[in-house]
Amino acid sequence: MKKQKLNGYLVAGILITALLLLLTVYGAIHTPYSPTAYTGAKFEAPSAAHLFGTDKLGRDIFSRVLKGMGTTLSVALATVAIGAVAGTAVGAATGYFGGLVDDALMRINDALTAFPSILMALLVISLLGPEHKYSLILALGIVFIPSFARVTRTAFASLRDVNYITSARLMGAGNLRILLVHLLPNTGRVLLPALTIGFNNAVLAEASMSFLRITPLETSLGYMLSEAQGMLSAAPWYALSTGIVIALLVFGVGLIGEGLQQRNKEA
Amino acid sequence: MLEIRDLHVKFHSRDREAVSGVSLRIEDGEILGLVGESGSGKSVTAMSVAGLLPRKQCTLSGDILLDGQDLLHADRALLRQIQGKKIGVVFQEPMSAMDPLMRVGEQVGEVLRIHTGLDKEERKRLVLQAMESVELQDPEAVYRKYPHELSGGMLQRAMIAAAIVIEPQLLLLDEPTTALDVTIQAQILELLKKLNRERGISMLFISHNLNVVRKLCSRVAVMQKGKLVETGATEDVFFHPQHPYTKKLIEAIPTRHGKETA
Amino acid sequence: MKYTLKRIGLLLITMLLVSFLTFLAFSLVSGDPAQTKLGTEATPERLAALRHEWGLDQPFFVRYFRWLAGFFSGNLGVSYHYSKPVWDLIASKVEVTLCMCLLSFVIITLVSIPLGIWSYRWVGGPFDWLRTAFNQLCMAVPPFFTGMLVSYGFGIVLRVFVPGDVPDLHTQFGAAVKHLFFAAVCIAIPRIAMTIRMMRSTVISEMNKSYVRTAISRGNDRHAVLTKHVLKNSLVSTITFLGQTMAEIIGGSIVVEQVFGIPGLGRFLVASIGYRDYPVVQTIVVILAFWVVLVGTIADLLNQHIDPRLRLGGKT
Repeated sequence: MKKQKLNGYLVAGILITALLLLLTVYGAIHTPYSPTAYTGAKFEAPSAAHLFGTDKLGRDIFSRVLKGMGTTLSVALATVAIGAVAGTAVGAATGYFGGLVDDALMRINDALTAFPSILMALLVISLLGPEHKYSLILALGIVFIPSFARVTRTAFASLRDVNYITSARLMGAGNLRILLVHLLPNTGRVLLPALTIGFNNAVLAEASMSFLRITPLETSLGYMLSEAQGMLSAAPWYALSTGIVIALLVFGVGLIGEGLQQRNKEA
Repeated sequence: MLEIRDLHVKFHSRDREAVSGVSLRIEDGEILGLVGESGSGKSVTAMSVAGLLPRKQCTLSGDILLDGQDLLHADRALLRQIQGKKIGVVFQEPMSAMDPLMRVGEQVGEVLRIHTGLDKEERKRLVLQAMESVELQDPEAVYRKYPHELSGGMLQRAMIAAAIVIEPQLLLLDEPTTALDVTIQAQILELLKKLNRERGISMLFISHNLNVVRKLCSRVAVMQKGKLVETGATEDVFFHPQHPYTKKLIEAIPTRHGKETA
Repeated sequence: MKYTLKRIGLLLITMLLVSFLTFLAFSLVSGDPAQTKLGTEATPERLAALRHEWGLDQPFFVRYFRWLAGFFSGNLGVSYHYSKPVWDLIASKVEVTLCMCLLSFVIITLVSIPLGIWSYRWVGGPFDWLRTAFNQLCMAVPPFFTGMLVSYGFGIVLRVFVPGDVPDLHTQFGAAVKHLFFAAVCIAIPRIAMTIRMMRSTVISEMNKSYVRTAISRGNDRHAVLTKHVLKNSLVSTITFLGQTMAEIIGGSIVVEQVFGIPGLGRFLVASIGYRDYPVVQTIVVILAFWVVLVGTIADLLNQHIDPRLRLGGKT
């Protein structure tokens, strides 16, 4: 009975996410109209020709949303990749070797995670220079390192003295080999839900940052929302379609995370 | 005073019955030992007497009568009037069985707060008395302490004080000494014996350790896989075990002591 | 008392460290602000004069301590962009942001604690999945999107407030709070969902602990088990979480201020980053960081008051 419920979250989440991913891939290859070109009348309400209507320049919003999803997703994936790889490396090293470095790094980690991620990202962007295109990705990536480091550290520390690791060590496996071959695959259970949470934070953070228009960035969902705010009364469909897509994206991955956590609990 | 007739307990999550057809009697002033290895259903039997089984997650049948009053089919409100007041329970791990954020004195007096209309002063007087009768040193200080500030032995004494502060008819002791050192264990057993002798409280003492049971109980019941396999006077069962399982249990008694958790 | 002092000492050290690191970081990246301000055609004399005026001709540590001393005496330096004292620029903004964040925090606390406890009753029930899904949905909708809808619905259609025009906090306190309330709600919604989720899992895990069984064995009813035992034990994690939330609210406020056109600290920070106005950015970052550290300390002290075990460990 419980198993079915758990699958419910996972299945629903995967369905929503897969649908949006398909749309994104489709949008990368082909969009009904050029997302930047004037295609029809201004402020046209949603119709068969323009699924999500048009904006004040007469651009097709559906095409823009498809493109925007691509930007938002790639920024989110890039930042999660930076955060997860660097965070896992830090967490693995400190968790596996322990000791003074571990203590010190985790203290710093705790201090960093205490700060709101948007503030941290703004700080890093300000330091890197807001005019660079990749400041945002780098900033968000850096901001997400500590949370990943913490999750993996706990997993690695708890696995460090498990029997099969000790026996691998006795059989002469080197530290690096133990870390990569024996430990890393076993942290998937905790890393996977952390990845879903990280991804969602990244999507929301990217959307917030491009909503604030701090760094120059092409059409992303957050940037489009800030555009849409200016034409809220003339073209409410612009804001609605963009906002709902962001929410669905986060909702879908959130459900996957929920499903994964429930499954971990059952196991 | 307590009579269990044909008790069956089955958890929805398990295929096998946890308790299948157990019948037991505890006479007034008697200490009955209930022995068996972990998973034998001894704790489940005691928990069903105390009304602590999650009713939604299991099916129960049979009768549990305390002085003729049915406990197994009693509604929650009635059960709550019996819990604590007529039946006191002492659990295995005193440290986790106590609320970490409530002062020990308040926890010992909780039964009084729930079941009597006594004011705070009066309750404190009774709590201190109970603490003294379980031989806790410096009750006034212990009263104000938090659980983490006391040793395991002291905590278990406090738990016993909490259970007897209102003079219940029956004390359920679920492996109360298993988590303690051997010396403390012996002291607690002495204390229980004294309480039984002086106040005539009946007790159901659950243990996986026959040796401990032998020191305390006049009668013993042996459980295996949810079934009662043997009942009798402790010495009889000890020297002339009838059931092969009982024989195995007796043979398995470690010569020193076994401190594994059940 | 000893741990309180220790904690406050730690707070001061952390603040010092944060301010130093921020100052260091901005000194490293800011290059020559005088050059930036005056452009490449500036005469060396004018450059030197401006550098002297801004104190840039002093050694690093002198500048840091001067800035730090200024920080506590209300002299926060001069904005490069506006050429005005930083404090004059941000004073009113600090008030607005603080007011909005506190408002949001109050909403979160008042709504999520009762709901968190109440949602425990749903556990295992037939509609539990619905509650979980709704919770996920609330976390998924970004506050700036809710903000747009709310400012459109209540601001433009219903005319409850005028977006972009926040009444003065001193002269029209009630009206200002009414205005900020809507923004505060938008920040609060996803946080409420998170807090409920956290409380629910905390209460569930507390309910499975042995002391609950003891409490039941003494004749406590469901309500008493919850109020006399479980709630107090759940409080520590709740306070820690709410402390974190208070910090995260600031993150949310930065974006929501933009949506509602609220002249707050976050919006000013974003603008100043665009202008590369380092004295302003640095000051706002340090103020917000102090706020975060302070809230964390308060949460810790409250927790130590509630849970005596935390007083011993000396864990920070």
